[in-house]
Amino acid sequence: MGLRSFVALPVEKGGVVIRLSAVNTNSTTSLITSAAYGVGINQTLLLGVPFKLSSSSSSLDDGRLGNVSALYRYIVWRKDSLLGTDRFGLLGGTIIPTGNDIDPATQAGFVFTHFKNRHEIDIDVLYQSGMKERLDSGRYDMSWQYRLIPAEHLDWGISQEINTVIELNGRWTENSNITHQVTIGLQSIHQELVIEGGFVRDLNNKKENLILLGFRFHF
Amino acid sequence: MNRPLSITRLFVLLLGMLIVSVGYARTVEVDVHGMTCAFCVDSLERKFGEITSVSKVDVSLKQKKIRLETDSTEPSIETIKQTVLDAGFTPINVLVVSRED
Repeated sequence: MGLRSFVALPVEKGGVVIRLSAVNTNSTTSLITSAAYGVGINQTLLLGVPFKLSSSSSSLDDGRLGNVSALYRYIVWRKDSLLGTDRFGLLGGTIIPTGNDIDPATQAGFVFTHFKNRHEIDIDVLYQSGMKERLDSGRYDMSWQYRLIPAEHLDWGISQEINTVIELNGRWTENSNITHQVTIGLQSIHQELVIEGGFVRDLNNKKENLILLGFRFHF
Repeated sequence: MNRPLSITRLFVLLLGMLIVSVGYARTVEVDVHGMTCAFCVDSLERKFGEITSVSKVDVSLKQKKIRLETDSTEPSIETIKQTVLDAGFTPINVLVVSRED
């Protein structure tokens, strides 16, 4: 799973994963809390709650809590193999507005994961259809993760892994151009914890950059 | 003359019964497909850790295999397969590699 999207995360039945991500832009620092719950073997509930920690502009007056994203993922196709897995899932859900964003949105999309040996590729696309005054929007995320360490796993037992991550991300809102971004980062994977960080470069506006730092916990 | 010998025999019999009741165990290995990273595989240890008749779980990401120390008959092969499925992976083969009884 990449740094900018949460929908490719595998979760076992009854399992819970929580990710805390701090996102720092040129003007704002936000904390995004994401949670995933495994309802069944192929069914997962995903929740995303952004919270603005600080801002150099006056936008904090609009409220610190951002729009809450609730998604249901159903894996419709899966092919597990000795060397990895391929999975395709459908996404559906809603955007629950908070603060001054009064109108909700429905969202739908898909996620595809290909994992083989030291390589993982995740692709997800999500379209958000605004209700009433809310504009439609969408996003895509394509990430490639490569396991740097270890080159070969232990015979028995689980060791720490370090992945490089390269992503191409896009964000679009109705009546606007799509914003493309490139994300480069690292993930340190432990048995119950993932520490991840990265740098995001906006390809349209090269002055707008983001820094990400995240922690994933498995409960 | 015979009395100490009978006590010895009784002691040996009781000791034997104790060994049989305590040392009744088996080792099961499961070939699993779909295992990828340490964080994902943690779910396998958690799922099997919830089963009281499983005393030890070892995972090999290299061999794509899990090794379980279990009671003599529990959990059943079907339960083992379902637990692997619940963890998000595909069980391929379940093999009892040793049985102490």
